[in-house]
Amino acid sequence: MWRAVFLWVMAWLLATGTAWAETTSGEKASGAQVPKLAFGQSVDNLTDDDLPYVYTEWENFTEEDGLPNDHIFAVRCAGEKVWVGTENGLACYDKKTRKFTVWREKDGLPWRAVTGIDVDPQTGDVWLALFGGGVARLSGGRFDHFHQLNSGLVNNVVYAIAVEHDNVWCATTAGASRYNTTTKEWTIFTEKNAPMEEIWNYNVFYSPEVNKVFLAVWGSGCLEFDVPTEKWKVYLDPDREMEIDLFRDDGIIHVITTAANYVGGALWVSTYFGQCRYDGRYWRGFYAHETGLPSDFTNALRARSGQECWMCTDKGLGVVADYATDTYVSYYRNGDDSSGRAEVFRQGRKIKEVPLETSIAHNFIIAMDFDGDDVWVGTAKGLSHGIGRGYYPGVRRQPEWLNKLNSTSEK
Amino acid sequence: MAAASDSAPTVGADNRALPNQEDLPFPVDDYTLSILERINRAGAYQVPQLPLRVDPVYADTPKELDPFGRLTQPFKRYFLVQMEYTGPGRGIPEPEHVDTVKIGFLGPIEPTVSVATGGKSHEENLGQMMLRGCQLAIEEANAAGGYWRRKIPFELVVRNDNGLWGSSGDEIIRLAYIENVWAIIGTIDGANSHIAIRVALKAEVPVVNTGDTDPTFIETNIPWVLRVIADDRRQCYILADYIYKKLGLSRVGIIRASNRYGRFGVREFRDASRRLERPVPIEMAYFVGQQDFSMELQRLADAQVEAVVHWGDAEDGARILNQMREMGMKQPFFACDRCLLDDFVKIAGKNAEGVVCASPWNPARDDSRLEEFRQKFKARFGCEPETYAAHAYDGTQMLIWAIQLAGLNRAKIRDVLATRRDPWHGVTGEIMLTAVLDRASDAYLAIRENNQWKFYSREDLGLPKEVPARPVQVSQN
Repeated sequence: MWRAVFLWVMAWLLATGTAWAETTSGEKASGAQVPKLAFGQSVDNLTDDDLPYVYTEWENFTEEDGLPNDHIFAVRCAGEKVWVGTENGLACYDKKTRKFTVWREKDGLPWRAVTGIDVDPQTGDVWLALFGGGVARLSGGRFDHFHQLNSGLVNNVVYAIAVEHDNVWCATTAGASRYNTTTKEWTIFTEKNAPMEEIWNYNVFYSPEVNKVFLAVWGSGCLEFDVPTEKWKVYLDPDREMEIDLFRDDGIIHVITTAANYVGGALWVSTYFGQCRYDGRYWRGFYAHETGLPSDFTNALRARSGQECWMCTDKGLGVVADYATDTYVSYYRNGDDSSGRAEVFRQGRKIKEVPLETSIAHNFIIAMDFDGDDVWVGTAKGLSHGIGRGYYPGVRRQPEWLNKLNSTSEK
Repeated sequence: MAAASDSAPTVGADNRALPNQEDLPFPVDDYTLSILERINRAGAYQVPQLPLRVDPVYADTPKELDPFGRLTQPFKRYFLVQMEYTGPGRGIPEPEHVDTVKIGFLGPIEPTVSVATGGKSHEENLGQMMLRGCQLAIEEANAAGGYWRRKIPFELVVRNDNGLWGSSGDEIIRLAYIENVWAIIGTIDGANSHIAIRVALKAEVPVVNTGDTDPTFIETNIPWVLRVIADDRRQCYILADYIYKKLGLSRVGIIRASNRYGRFGVREFRDASRRLERPVPIEMAYFVGQQDFSMELQRLADAQVEAVVHWGDAEDGARILNQMREMGMKQPFFACDRCLLDDFVKIAGKNAEGVVCASPWNPARDDSRLEEFRQKFKARFGCEPETYAAHAYDGTQMLIWAIQLAGLNRAKIRDVLATRRDPWHGVTGEIMLTAVLDRASDAYLAIRENNQWKFYSREDLGLPKEVPARPVQVSQN
């Protein structure tokens, strides 16, 4: 009994007792207490002039520019093309011609709402998750349609799709399906053969780095599938309670997960309650009130490395810009005109606000993808393209983008 | 984030003048009109400054039932501040031509083999009553002139959620994208409800739930969803207090359906028992429709339980009770609200005497609105309304009120429902919503006495809860 109490107290002290420090100047994130750095993080010798890269050049696209619909559900970059899934059609942006090609139902698209896209690097086939319409493959200008009645797809409400070698993984509202494009074999994963406490799959991501598939499952945390061994590993919220996060940094923030990416040795997981990162030994949670990220309600995320991850929230576009130095950037649109701002935070303190003549298309962010140094962002009211001229990872003192911004404003 | 100010309307804002109170076919107060003004001023790129509910405690949970409450305070508590909808939906103009105002209905109304509910469907009797409650409310609204702005009727678009291979997701997609409904009422089964609200979140359509008592339904942080029925959490709290504090029992066994309803229904009772230092010694699950419970009951008897709590359908509950008594088990029998249905008493017969069920409302209270509803329902459908019909009637009326005020815009309908400040005077009682848009009212206990169900509130039972009193605070975003 006493041993259990002792262990509990020690766990509590480890989890919370050393977690807070105060800063004395600068603007804090709303209501923030400032967390001490997590393992592997350091702000030694940094000043407020040490800044992450901030995207200051944005261009936006809407129906007026040729998109089939402004409500963007999915974005996927592949070479010279940017594929865009919307609430009413599929679009492909050609970066050379700067023109959109559009497919609606009348053009053969099997269903109007496209919620996920992946491109097979071996064949160039484009795989589409259709929201209530199953799955489609766009190959050689033709759509092939897979649904509950003609294939092994477990459910027609498909939220996301990912290509893994010859396999296509589909995250559906009633389990995950895997389609082998060579053998034509379908495999269904539900609570019967996978550690899914619930079967409501929400997102899927394949990491070639570790040859694993990661599923974000609504109500069942994050599931990791090792491709060679076909073994599952599950990450759940350790406190097992819906209404609280008992200890910070003890695991996944909440079981209602929305996306999971594994890049650069780190697993990043988003939820509607905050975001988190796991490096194989330590978890770190990110809450808006202590980081400066726009919101805890996160529709999806995309990791660029083990240090940088972009969060699609309902109140702006948030970036863990440099995990090592606890540095964040949040992008906002101001209102009816296209201007906005980027806010740079470190340890919960705002260290820089950057005015943007043109910012993201809307603050309700649903999807994003990387395109080399550029980023493409799907919002509820248009598509945004952040131009990463001179992009660098981490932080730099007096970076070029800032000098350029200052010289522009002086003129 | 940009918030709508008092300046000129923004892109996509609704420039129509607000309705005069005297023009409206229903009462509306100045506060609600001021909220509507703010909502209409916001367009696609602005979020209106609306009051957000702030609850001191989630779901009125007493301190002693707080998770890990005896050990520490959690790092973060969720569901205390109301979720906002921050998307561009308010900027979508009303369609120019509509013949009817469509409201979707999703519920278990046809018998099938359902993957979602774990086999043969079993909730059609509940779904049919829910449908009737909705129909009555729609018919009354149409008799009063329909949608007042265009003088067109409301139309209920009915879909079954019991279909093969988890087709409830398909049904709600079709309601949202093909039928273009303005809001959806549904559903009862917890799994189907979760599927529905995930679709609602992406398709941005309001969902009013009137029959799913799964506590986790609302614990998903989705700003498009509200519920007007007291959930199993609140039913479990009052049952636990009654069993442990009033009756002084300490070894209580559980027998429950092996489905989501049973699994999640008893969770808060099990947790409450442990937190009150009377952990449940045994929990047995059975298949829906099972006939022979001798193995499960023998295990409960062997565990020397002083009472049995059942969570499942009425027919199963009654058969379990009868077999308990046949086996000589005399322990008190407690159950969820589904055992208040007529089928339970019909099958249990005299064994029903003394049974105690949780109830999300008090249908025996003296209320002229309730009596009027009963008479109208009986005249229309030839049967007495029960829990699912009454809550569906209330939920549909609330939704129609919101549509009448907000107009044909899903985001604004959501806003009007989410910001209602005063209680809704429904046939099921006063409906106040919490910060997470769940019904705030306490559950009741129904005790079978002299061949009748007698309903008791916490006050009647002398079981007050130590939680902060309402009304809730509101804060500007």
